[in-house]
Amino acid sequence: MFEIFEYEFMQRAFIVGISLSILTAILGSFIVLKRYAMLPDALSHIALLGVGIGLVTHTSPIYIPIIVAAVAGVAIEYLRYKKQLYSDAILSIFLSGALALAIILINLSDGFNASLFAYLFGSITAVSNEEMMLTVGFTIFGLLLLLGSYRKLLFVTLDEETAKASGIAVFGLNIMLVVLSAVTVALAMRIVGILLIGALMVLPISTALLYKENFLKSLVMATLFSLVSVIMGLLISFYLGLSSGAAIVLVALLFFITSLFLNW
Amino acid sequence: MPVISVQDLNYQVGEQKILSDISFDITQGEYVALVGPNGGGKTTLIKVLLGLITQNSGKIQILGSEKKRFKKCYKIGYVPQNVSLFDSNFPLSVYETVALGLASRKPWFSFLSPKDKEMIDIALQKASITHLKEKNLSQLSGGQRQRVMIARALVSRPEVLILDEPSTGVDIVSQQKFYQFLKSLNIDYKLTIIFITHDLGVIADDVTYVLSINQKLVFSGTAQEMLSCESATELYGIKSHVVGHHCSSHAS
Repeated sequence: MFEIFEYEFMQRAFIVGISLSILTAILGSFIVLKRYAMLPDALSHIALLGVGIGLVTHTSPIYIPIIVAAVAGVAIEYLRYKKQLYSDAILSIFLSGALALAIILINLSDGFNASLFAYLFGSITAVSNEEMMLTVGFTIFGLLLLLGSYRKLLFVTLDEETAKASGIAVFGLNIMLVVLSAVTVALAMRIVGILLIGALMVLPISTALLYKENFLKSLVMATLFSLVSVIMGLLISFYLGLSSGAAIVLVALLFFITSLFLNW
Repeated sequence: MPVISVQDLNYQVGEQKILSDISFDITQGEYVALVGPNGGGKTTLIKVLLGLITQNSGKIQILGSEKKRFKKCYKIGYVPQNVSLFDSNFPLSVYETVALGLASRKPWFSFLSPKDKEMIDIALQKASITHLKEKNLSQLSGGQRQRVMIARALVSRPEVLILDEPSTGVDIVSQQKFYQFLKSLNIDYKLTIIFITHDLGVIADDVTYVLSINQKLVFSGTAQEMLSCESATELYGIKSHVVGHHCSSHAS
C-alpha cells in the first residue's frame, strides 16, 4: 500500500499536490464568489504563453510562466476595475490572445512533444525538487496573505463599493488576489495541467456552496474536497497510469455530482 | 459645527453636468431626506460624499476634516441600494456579515477581539436581529437583509449613516416599519441619518431636513415647507428655479 511513497517523484507529487489543493481551494472560493470563475482558465492559458516563451528562448519553464501570468493578471484587474470593462470579455480576450501567441511560439520552437502534453494535462513525474520547494514556500506565503487579509478580502468579494466607502484598499486587495491566483495556476500546471487547473479552483467551492453553510464552513469544506480530490487523483494516476490532472478533476467532479444529488 | 459641509460642489462626466453649484450643511443628529427625480444626481452626490468618486470642484468637509484628508471612513456608515436583491447564493451568516463592518478598522493579521464581539452584539441588538445571527443571508426576507446591512454599517459606531434608497423592493407596510426603525436610531443614538427616498409622503412628519436635488440644489428646508411650496412640483417638472416664501428662506 505504501510502496507508492518509496518513489521520490511520488513524494514530490504529494507534497506539491497537497500544498496546491489548499491554496487553490481558498483562492478559488474568493474568485468564484466574485463571479470571476473564468479567471483561472484565462490565467492558465496565459501561463501556456509563458511556456511557449520558455521553449523559444530556452529559458526557465518554471519562472517565465509565473512572471507572464502575474503581469497579465495585473493587466486584467486594471482593465476590469479601473477601466470598468466587462470582466468576462477581458478574460476571453486574454485567454484567446495568449493561446494564439502560445501556439505560434510553440510552432516556432517545434515543441509539440511529450513535455507539452504534460503541461496541458498534468503529470506526476513532472515535478522537480526546485518546483516542490518553490510551491511549498509560495503556498505558505499565499496562505499567510489570505489569512492576514481574510475579513477585508471577504468584504471586497461581497461588495466592492461599500468596502471602498469604508476605507478598504479594494484595488490593492484585488491585485493581490489575482497575482496569487496567477502564480498558483503557473505552479499547478505541471501537476494538474493547463487545461484542468481552472476546474480544480472552481469545483471544490462550487461543491461546498451546495450545502448552504456560512462562509467559514464553506471554506473549510472546499479545502477538504480539494485535498481529498488531489490525494485520490494522485493515487488513481499512479496505479492506473492516467494523467494526474484528469484523475484529480474527475474525483472533484464526482464530489460535486454526489453533493448535487444529496442537496437536490 | 456641521458633520457634513458642502460648498460649490460641481461634478461632470465629459461635457455633461451631473451636479452643479451644490452647497449645504448638515448638523449633528439631523434626519435628512435626499429627494429628487431619477437621474437628478442624488446617488452621485452620495458617492462623492463617500469618496467613491471625486468632484471636479468644490469643497467638502466631513466631521471637520477636508474630504481628501478624512481617513476615518468608518465614521460614515453606508448602506447601498438594492440590498434586498443581494446575491442569495453568497454563503454568509448574519453574524459574519455584520462583522465585515469592522474590517476597515482592523489591521492585517488580527482576529475578532472580545471588544469586537461586543460591538457586533450591540449592532445586532440595535437592528433587532440578534435572533437571526446564525442564519444565512439567503434565508432572510428583503426587509431583514436591509436590517443586516444597517447593522453592518452600525458596528463601527459611525456618526453619520447614509442609505441609498433603503425602501426599494419593500412593501408599503414594511416601509413604514423600516422608517420607524430608522427614526428610532436617529433619536435613540443621536445618529445623523441621510437617505435617498422617493417616498417623502411616508416620512414627511419625521425628517428634520430635506435636500432636493435636480442637478442643482432646488430646495433645502423642512418637509412641510417643501410640500407646501412650488418646489415639490417644480422638482419633478422641467423647470427647477425656486421661488416662494418658505423655500427662499432655506434655499442655497
